[in-house]
Amino acid sequence: MVRQDGYQFDSFSLEVSIPPLILQNEASLWSYMQSKYGSEPWFREKIHTGCVSIKDALKFSLINPLEKLLDCKSSLCPFRIRLTYTHTKASEGVAKCSDNGGSCKRRKTGESDSIGEGTLSSSVEDESFDFSKLFPKSENEPCNFSYNCSRTPFYFGGRYLKYSRNVSQTRWIIDDERMGEASVEEIIGIKVLQACGGDNYKFHAAGREDIDVRMLGPGRPFILEVQNTRLVPTEQFANDIEKMINKEENKLVRVNNLKLVGSDGWNLMREGEGEKQKQYAALVWTSRPLKDEDFQQVSSLKDLKVAQRTPIRVLHRRSPLEREKIIHWMKMETVAGSSQYFLLHLCTQAGTYIKEFVHGDLGRTHPSIGSILGCRAEILQLDVTDIKMECFLT
Amino acid sequence: MSGQIIEESNSSETKELEQKQDKQKEQDEDADEELRKLLLPDVQTLPSTPPSAVESNFAIYFVLDFMKPRHDQYVYRHANGLCVIGLAPSHVAFNDEGGITAIDFNVGKSDRSGVKVTGKRKKNAQHFESNTALCKVSTKNDSYIVRCCVKGSLLEVNQQLIKQPELLNASADREGYIAIIMPKPADWLKIKPSLVSLEEYKKLREVS
Repeated sequence: MVRQDGYQFDSFSLEVSIPPLILQNEASLWSYMQSKYGSEPWFREKIHTGCVSIKDALKFSLINPLEKLLDCKSSLCPFRIRLTYTHTKASEGVAKCSDNGGSCKRRKTGESDSIGEGTLSSSVEDESFDFSKLFPKSENEPCNFSYNCSRTPFYFGGRYLKYSRNVSQTRWIIDDERMGEASVEEIIGIKVLQACGGDNYKFHAAGREDIDVRMLGPGRPFILEVQNTRLVPTEQFANDIEKMINKEENKLVRVNNLKLVGSDGWNLMREGEGEKQKQYAALVWTSRPLKDEDFQQVSSLKDLKVAQRTPIRVLHRRSPLEREKIIHWMKMETVAGSSQYFLLHLCTQAGTYIKEFVHGDLGRTHPSIGSILGCRAEILQLDVTDIKMECFLT
Repeated sequence: MSGQIIEESNSSETKELEQKQDKQKEQDEDADEELRKLLLPDVQTLPSTPPSAVESNFAIYFVLDFMKPRHDQYVYRHANGLCVIGLAPSHVAFNDEGGITAIDFNVGKSDRSGVKVTGKRKKNAQHFESNTALCKVSTKNDSYIVRCCVKGSLLEVNQQLIKQPELLNASADREGYIAIIMPKPADWLKIKPSLVSLEEYKKLREVS
């Protein structure tokens, strides 16, 4: 059965789900015994040493035959096999439970998804409910049985570069039409998904850039979550996928340092995401030729405070606010053959709108390059040249 | 004797470390060089005057003689539906000597510069008709009412104009914009036929 789906595994973790009715019967039996024998010393001792619940007993009896059948050991691991037993007859206890005011809390257990089971197990702890009143009735119908197996998600971390000005970071569709020719998340996600036989992927990146902005330099950190993989990815596997993505002919996207990450990957990426500085290179045109003094004036500005009102291009979906951002440093580089075009290198606080800092957004970003130089400035191209974060650099 | 041996082994270690650092430096320089090549544009392909941010990001329309002769205004519509409203270069106010001297947003029933619109859903935004007054601009001897031209929610007025009304004379088409309005898609479709394009505007007003 597991072979059919093509799962690769070397150990498994067993989960069992049993009908609420059985739990109810067990609880009422226990409660009855408690009231009848509660004072007896042998009973108290039994409680002390612990009793095996029906669910655990079932699990124990199933594990050995399964181990033999699948030819491997059972342990706590990402590959889960779930056996679900259900019964057509609903538990009476559940209905009574939900009448119990608000004291029955719905507790989410990792293993059971049957709501009835969850409610019942929490109400077993609620002592005010007397289970001895519900006598177990003998049942003639057998249980229904179903099984399924799955794996907990795997996480790949790395940095991506985007060489194209026509590729969005995530899938972008308006009115059934795709914007751009591809997306970074699909280029990386689909390859990884196919290679390890997963059900689906989720792409998470540390920030984003516009579709017409290239992501260069060391790249932007990202984590790709893959669910229910059939194969088990290894470090070598991650290396191979990285090479495969980078070999693509159209060279739209590049991946660096792809590797498996654990839960610490999230912390590395999210930590200080809003504080990290970003570095850019913008191709700027000015309405008058520039002189050395202009270059020097721009370079001399350190930690320049800029007030940015929400840019018009995002004003439809963001709050109208004025946000203060810091431009840490700027450097202008001449472009051979032109006195009105130059490359502006700048390092800014996370969240700064660079395009608006160049053209001023009708005066709503102040100061802007234009206002600093006393002329009109336009931005033709923008590239991200560095994301100053520590994660996924090797 | 032993001191000498230690010195020798130290120097070979430091040599290895130096070599490693040199190699890393080389790799970094190569990466920088590659980056530079990607960044530098080919000047041959660059236009002598590139399109402005407004030209690249907005569809430019004009409304002529809005309710009164020569009351010409522009409407810049962004792809996201927002409309920037302002005075067209042919507006009658610019003919007065000295140009525009003051602006007052306190017209109609409220002071348009006082409303605070907040949040993604644009709470508190006032809904105006196309003929609702936005502000009054004054010249030496006259004053003129500027209207919305587009039916929708008023998101903001250009506060800078209150302190610097001369922006209207110097750059009415950019920093001198008057307001930003968010029309509903249906309302935009209704008004669009009455607007003219940049080409038509140039012809009709004989502007270059």
